[in-house]
Amino acid sequence: MLLAYKTALASPHVTAAAIEAGEFPRLADEMNVWAVPSIAVNGVPQWEGAVRERVFLDRVLAPSFA
Amino acid sequence: MPTVFRPDEEPRLRELLDAMERPVDLVVALGPEETPLPGAGDFDFSAETVKVVEALAALSGRVTSRIEQQPAGVTLFPAVLVLPAGDDRGLRYFGTPYGYELASLVGAVLEAGRSAPSLTSESLERLAALDRELAIDVFVTPT
Repeated sequence: MLLAYKTALASPHVTAAAIEAGEFPRLADEMNVWAVPSIAVNGVPQWEGAVRERVFLDRVLAPSFA
Repeated sequence: MPTVFRPDEEPRLRELLDAMERPVDLVVALGPEETPLPGAGDFDFSAETVKVVEALAALSGRVTSRIEQQPAGVTLFPAVLVLPAGDDRGLRYFGTPYGYELASLVGAVLEAGRSAPSLTSESLERLAALDRELAIDVFVTPT
């Protein structure tokens, strides 16, 4: 979670939100959340699990989000 | 009623918060809550969120807290908006940051209190080239 916050603080183009899955089950269901942490970018589910900083940026900066 | 922070962790937390390079404002956004999963019982998520945020703000003059009812742009409640030096940079915590996830809120505050981002220089270079909007959502649980 902290990496997402750090990324948001490092770029004016990025926002970061933690969402407590149990309190928002409808949204978690829509995002196919089965395990945590589960990451979505621009409303599209991406991956589950913690990753290192370089991998995190590789994934969130993927051209598919252009 | 249990305290939010353990007595043995409060001094270190105060120290870290007091050392922040810039102040951080916390806004608790309250509004209609979604029905949580079965098992939540009569847990009052909004009241607990207010309690956690106020307890955090009480630890240091570098952190302030206030409550807003359904502020613009917020659709999930309760939420905590983390504002470095009063500036909304899009840092949010949706839900009640308790248990394991209390560390996420504390981490957000400490990061927001830095005057410079703590990512590697390589990461900062990559982000400097970013020219599109990215909204990162991380689903978490408190246990």
